[in-house]
Amino acid sequence: MESTNHQFKSIDEFNVVSDVFSQAITGELIGMSNFASLSGTIDDPHEKMEAVEHADSERQHAEGFLAYANKIGLNVKINLNGEYWGRVRKVFLKYSEKNDFIACLIIQEVMLEAYAIAMYSDVGKALKGGPSKLFISIADEEKEHMDHSTEILREELEKNPPEFLKKFEEIHYDCMTILAEFSATSKCESSCGVCQGDCLKLSLDHIDLDVTTMRGNALALYAKAMDNIGIPGEKSIQWIANLPA
Amino acid sequence: MSANHKLEQLDFAVIGHQESWNDIKAFINGMRSDDVGDLSLEQVKNTFGYIPPRSVFKMKVRSKTDALIHGVYIETFIEPDKLGMQHLRTNITKVNEAIAVAQSLNAKIIALGGFTSIVLEGNLSTFNTTETKITTGNSLTAAYILKGIEKASKKFNVDLKSSNVLIIGATGDIGMACTNYLKGSVKNFLLCARNKRRLEKFSNEISEGGCSVSYDTDLSRLLPQADIIISAASSNDIAIEHYKKPVIICDAGYPKNLELKIAKTEGISLFHGGMGHIGYGYDFNPDYTKHFYRYPLPHIGHGCVLEAVVLAFENKFENYSNGKGNISNLKIDDIYAMSIKHGLELAPFYNSKGLWT
Repeated sequence: MESTNHQFKSIDEFNVVSDVFSQAITGELIGMSNFASLSGTIDDPHEKMEAVEHADSERQHAEGFLAYANKIGLNVKINLNGEYWGRVRKVFLKYSEKNDFIACLIIQEVMLEAYAIAMYSDVGKALKGGPSKLFISIADEEKEHMDHSTEILREELEKNPPEFLKKFEEIHYDCMTILAEFSATSKCESSCGVCQGDCLKLSLDHIDLDVTTMRGNALALYAKAMDNIGIPGEKSIQWIANLPA
Repeated sequence: MSANHKLEQLDFAVIGHQESWNDIKAFINGMRSDDVGDLSLEQVKNTFGYIPPRSVFKMKVRSKTDALIHGVYIETFIEPDKLGMQHLRTNITKVNEAIAVAQSLNAKIIALGGFTSIVLEGNLSTFNTTETKITTGNSLTAAYILKGIEKASKKFNVDLKSSNVLIIGATGDIGMACTNYLKGSVKNFLLCARNKRRLEKFSNEISEGGCSVSYDTDLSRLLPQADIIISAASSNDIAIEHYKKPVIICDAGYPKNLELKIAKTEGISLFHGGMGHIGYGYDFNPDYTKHFYRYPLPHIGHGCVLEAVVLAFENKFENYSNGKGNISNLKIDDIYAMSIKHGLELAPFYNSKGLWT
């Protein structure tokens, strides 16, 4: 689609908003797939049902974004096998295939949700009207997911701190390295497979955003999520310091 | 955290920040493993200004009395180029978050290092001090400044009683403490501060006590008369020009960058003041000292930090230094005596070129 919708000031703005929705929908579908895989790792029937419910919640988020994108005529591209989302999914599957429920929770509910909540909040503040409300309301729902998992992970840490920290560190480097590259200003050389045209990260100024702030806010929320679980600051700062930037 | 963690109460916490982005860069790159390489200054700036305060390393400090205390360093990630008034709200939020981290770690007393104490000087009521005590550490900083001035004067045969002593930042907490302490010991005070109304009020108070006082918001008008200068201001705008020779300068500001503002240092004996030396040493875990430690001798620390260490050694958990203008001469003498008791003494004289020869 090459025409601009009446709600957009320019073709650039239209393209950026289209890419933002494409990333959000793809991310939600990854979340949906992850929760669906996660349900297979759980023995407890109630927890299993809850995982399916979460998968359905992510599906609804994806549908919500998609419906709105169609309504305002955005040019959406969904690619679950894109450069970053495909790698995130592979990492998740690595742990779900081992039936490692805690690892799956860490990836989906701490790492991916921290990025989703922070970035949706930033986009929600930058956009106006309906899209703004949509992003903010979904960010709020994702926050509930994160809060729920924090309790479980805190208990897990208390059971065996050294083992939990070792596991978290391994997952951090597996998953957060990808998310850090996804949001790094230096990683724009090749297409991520979701955005169309120029790299979204370099075009965010068309909606009064910038990738540095979004990345900073996402990492800050991730750091706070680790604090809430009870991970010592000496560990979390070291892990964050070793991420690509 | 678990019940076990709760039992591990820390004696003290130090809340601080780095003096420059280059220091943060060195610190962060010191944490990075060899296989990921260093981050550029830009990359560090783009990430670490956003990171919420957190504990970065644990500490063990040893006393002359054989006592051993446990503490933690909490980095606020206050941005070094955002120390101005326009960022005060953001910085107070960061200090508050850092205090919450210290409280979650069960620290009995918190030292507010560097700029964080300046943030607090007028805002103690902003912070919850019911569970954890907080000190700006300004009493011991003032003590080390004053002992430094006494020692330097003796070294250069300068008679304090016949000297004009210039205090830059005279209406700040440390400036006021130093002025009050030196009342009756110097010939004339030259007081300088940015806020004219406060400077006038404080100068009149000192003058009414029988001291000779000249004051001015314009430093250049006071400099030519000064035999001794105590710079207790945290400003990047201080220029040392047209000064009297010889002159002793104690750079007790934050950051300590006065030397960079002096074109020719002939006739100047400048030392970094307010610093102490931990005679019986300390251990950090993890140990990043090689990436951020900038002093010419091991085991040097800021007086403000060491005040909490001394109070922890003494089991004296109280808001020892708080607010502005509350530091009495007795408090200075007491904290200094306690400091000496535990082997924390005035640091040897040094400046950015190294130790005085």
